[in-house]
Order: sequence, then C-alpha cells, then structure tokens
Amino acid sequence: MAKSAPASRPLSPHLQIWRFTVTMAASITHRGTGIALYTGTVLLALWMWSIAMGEGVFAVIGPLMVSPIGLIIIFGYIWALSFHMLGGLRYLYFDSGRGLAPKTATKTAWAIYIASFLLALIISYAAMKTRGAF
Amino acid sequence: MSKKGTSNFIMQRASAVLLLPLGVWFLWSLAAHAGGDYFTARAWLSELKNTVLLGALVTIGALHMRIGMSEVIHDYFTGTMHGLLSWLNWLVALGVIGVALWSLYALAA
Repeated sequence: MAKSAPASRPLSPHLQIWRFTVTMAASITHRGTGIALYTGTVLLALWMWSIAMGEGVFAVIGPLMVSPIGLIIIFGYIWALSFHMLGGLRYLYFDSGRGLAPKTATKTAWAIYIASFLLALIISYAAMKTRGAF
Repeated sequence: MSKKGTSNFIMQRASAVLLLPLGVWFLWSLAAHAGGDYFTARAWLSELKNTVLLGALVTIGALHMRIGMSEVIHDYFTGTMHGLLSWLNWLVALGVIGVALWSLYALAA
C-alpha cells in the first residue's frame, strides 16, 4: 500500500522490528484482541439478527455456535474480551501517569496475561456447567 | 486528513470506561445463560433490562471498535487504500449498530 501512493506522513514500524519484551507483547495482544473483538461484535449482531428473524434462521446459526469451531470462537471471544478489558484498565491506569516504570509495567503485563486466561477459564467453566455439559 | 486526534483520544477512553461494566455484565450473562434454546434466548433478549444493556454494549462497543480500527488503518495505510478502509470501517460500525438495534426493537415485547 505504501508503494502505490506517496506517503504524506510516515507509517508506523511493523511487528518484526521490535525486540521481544512482555510489555511489547501485551501492546500487540491488546491490538490483536481488539481486532478479534471487532469480528466478534459483527458475529454478536448476526446472532441477535438471527433471533429476531425467527426460529428458522436460528436453526442454522444455533448448531454452528455449538459446533467445535463455534465453541473455539466463543472461548476465543471470552478470552479476548477478558484480556482487552484488563489491558484497557491497565492503559487507563497509565493515562493517570502511574504504573509506567519499566519494572511495574512488566509485572502488570504478566498479570493481565495470567488473569485473562484464569478469567476466561472460569467463565467458560461456568458456561459449560450452565449448559449441562457436566 | 483526520483532525480528530484529540476527540478520538477522549472518546476512546470515555467509551472504554462505559464498556468495562457492560463487558463484565455480558460475560456474566454468557456464563449464566449458555446453552439455552431459541425461546430462552428470545425471552432473554426481550427483557427490558437486557434490551437496554445489550443495546448500549453493542452501540458503544461499535463506536469504540471504529476508533480502534481507524488507529490500525492510520498506522499501516496511506492514499486510496486508507480512504477506502476508513469508509468501510464506518460502514461496518454503523451496520453493526443498525442490525443490533433493529433486532432488539423487533424483539421488544
């Protein structure tokens, strides 16, 4: 894209130039989960639409949701939302001018990875239990 | 190009603050109602409290994701592609809001 038109403003450095640190990984994951949630919100709107359209349309969407791929997408959505909310909270804390010291930022970056997975597992476990899977 | 840097910066944070409690509510609802059939889902969606909260989640969420995706587009695209993707980005966000609110309206008891 950058080649086809003269850039009037500089573009951002791309993924591959960064040295790996967990704070950088958390930043990329925040963007990645944001993009995933973009797609997830489109799917959520489609789910609402299928219910409004009636039982016939939902009969197509419903089985897709509980298929293995559907369940992976739903678990991914739960984790992405968990991570993005915790990451967002961390960034709001940064906005207040706190938590920016490298040591602290590294600790909170690890914390949101661990906490988001635990949260996603707990929510998924509760959902499976409600569903009567066990 | 865009002269909306400051307002987007503020809007993204204001919407984030509103989305936090709505997101927690949505995840909790998911855990509490997973596996219901069509009629359970329909009844849940037509409860006024859920209509309002889900409508707010999707509307504020769509505006938040529109700004987030525009940051990505600003980072990696220029020229025609930039314009095209920015336009598509608006279309998706407004489409999501339109479809979701229409569905909730149609389902409202």
